[in-house]
Amino acid sequence: MNMRSISFRLVAWHAGLLTAIFMLLCAGLYLNLKHFLENDLRQTQARRTRQIANTLLAHVKQTGEPYVASQTKDWFDPEVNDRFIRITRADGTLVYVSGAPKDGSFDPAEVPISRPSTAREYSHKLKLSGGSTLLVAALNFKSSGNPGYLVEFGALLDPVESMLDHLFLQLALGLPLAVSIITAGGYLLVCRALTPVEQITRAAERITQHNLSDRLPVSHTGDELERLSVSLNRMITRLDGAFQNSQRFVADASHDLRTPLTILRGELESFAADARLDSELRDRAGSMLEEAAHLGKIVEQLFTLSRLDAGEAQTEWISFDLSELARTTAEQMGLLAEDKGIAIVCDAGQPVPVKGSQVRLKQVVVNLLGNAIKYTPENGAVQLRVLADNGHAVLEVEDNGPGIPPAALPHIFERFYRVDKARAADSESAGLGLAIVKSICTAHGAEVTVQSSAGCGSCFRVKLPLFKD
Amino acid sequence: MRILLVEDEKKVADIIVRGLKAERFAVDVCHDGPSGWAAAAAYNYDLIILDLMLPGLSGTEILEKIRRKNQQVPVLILTARDGMADKIKNFETGADDYLTKPFAFAELLLRLKALLRRGPVSRASVLRVNDLEIDRLSQNVKRAGKRIELTSKEYALLEYLATQPNRVFSRTMIIEHVWDQSFQGLTNIVDVYVRHLREKVDDAFPVKLLRTVRGVGYSLNDGTQV
Repeated sequence: MNMRSISFRLVAWHAGLLTAIFMLLCAGLYLNLKHFLENDLRQTQARRTRQIANTLLAHVKQTGEPYVASQTKDWFDPEVNDRFIRITRADGTLVYVSGAPKDGSFDPAEVPISRPSTAREYSHKLKLSGGSTLLVAALNFKSSGNPGYLVEFGALLDPVESMLDHLFLQLALGLPLAVSIITAGGYLLVCRALTPVEQITRAAERITQHNLSDRLPVSHTGDELERLSVSLNRMITRLDGAFQNSQRFVADASHDLRTPLTILRGELESFAADARLDSELRDRAGSMLEEAAHLGKIVEQLFTLSRLDAGEAQTEWISFDLSELARTTAEQMGLLAEDKGIAIVCDAGQPVPVKGSQVRLKQVVVNLLGNAIKYTPENGAVQLRVLADNGHAVLEVEDNGPGIPPAALPHIFERFYRVDKARAADSESAGLGLAIVKSICTAHGAEVTVQSSAGCGSCFRVKLPLFKD
Repeated sequence: MRILLVEDEKKVADIIVRGLKAERFAVDVCHDGPSGWAAAAAYNYDLIILDLMLPGLSGTEILEKIRRKNQQVPVLILTARDGMADKIKNFETGADDYLTKPFAFAELLLRLKALLRRGPVSRASVLRVNDLEIDRLSQNVKRAGKRIELTSKEYALLEYLATQPNRVFSRTMIIEHVWDQSFQGLTNIVDVYVRHLREKVDDAFPVKLLRTVRGVGYSLNDGTQV
């Protein structure tokens, strides 16, 4: 799971906060209840001690101590009700002590005499040897004419404690369960809410310059996501418009440049062919024609690039053997190399199937080989290799010419870039050959790289996906 | 032979008309779509040259109208756009040939003659230019009875030039015919081949057959023109 995703972070925060709030609530509930129950028990006990003191001990002179003891036993029946009652005189001697309760939960003899206190009423808890806790309320009763008594009334805290334990257990189990149910529910909700985002992302990934007319899905929910997809769609519409504008511009520019070139060429041709003119004039017309042809070539190459940029239709794509293409091209260019005494060594024995436009990929080979031949000194060597390597078709053109200076390497695939500015003036190329190579490669999902060191030649490497049927 | 030219660029039209008249064609010119269509509908031309971008009615629309009338007249499309999609669409509509501006007039003429079936491409099995003899079946080349050894590309180039002696072929035409359009950016390949061809065909003889027309291209001269 992606820890940085919005859904994960939302749910994690949500769950953390919920856990904290629930724990605080549960703790408050537990402590409050515990306090309330103990207090309630304590007050009941205190009431009982007062009852004994006010109704029995107040008249002890008339009734005598044994009557107090028997009445106490009758009223409260402590053995049956699991209560502890003890009445002692101020000197510590017993007037009455209840017997062992029927369930045997404690032994009254074990209960120590409460420490004398100056307070009239007080209470304390006693931990007994059986593990149970006894809450004892005590009352100092003094009145004129009697020695003073200490009345103690105790009850076991165990029912309260076991109830609290039970509650604790329920909370301890219920809290994680509740949090996990809420978290899971929250996660599902968040995921559902974010599904359109995922869809928008996927749809946006699919949109390239070739299908700018496609739009993202819009969920008509009236929420932020609808607004997001609508504004993204508006952006794509604007992009589409800009793209179509630029394509239209290329088409218009194409027309506007070609027409004057046609006129120029036509007029000059008629000059050059006009036998009435003297040969020097005809030669000059020819020179202008050469320039017109050069201009025409640059315009042509620019349009080739624009067409490649705009994404040429892949209708002419077929699968073919790159090795064979390389071999025939090398053969066709053989004389060009021979003319400079350069040997083209063609190492393309194995069939290497690729898919693409044969015309365009041949252009890549022609441009790379043409460059290699052009920049390799006489009697040099050019190597052409085609091989299948790790799922890729690789085409390499290596020469042992002067190489490319390191400073120029990052720029050589740029349009109109020339390594040697000084030679630009008389060279017939416009510096678009490698840019075209790059564009064709991009259109074919291929990668073109160059390795070169000054003085040691250069090696251009085209890596295409291998065709598998 | 009467040709209709529909071209809105007056200067381009002038050049074509001048060239065609020099070749003894009768040419009618229209400068916009509607008048072009009216002319095409009114008279049975032997050939129509249509520009695509025309005011009023586009070349493609005129072509559709012509074909709907079921006229079999050959139509050559001139265009300043060379998108593949345009090309395919126009061939589907019924264009017979397609020429992208800027073009060499020689090329226009060559295609035009091919469409008119005036036999510009000689089908004779032996081509003779001056004392040069090209046997198209055996691909043997002889000059003054002496055998000349040529590579296949050199042969293809020579044969192409020999199909129309004295006609100047542009480098673009030669590349498209002898090589293919992938070599478009590499026009100097033609120069190299012509030089080699010259060494083999002309160097040993006083009469030079291969002629360079600067800025235009090459031709094979039969010696009747200077």
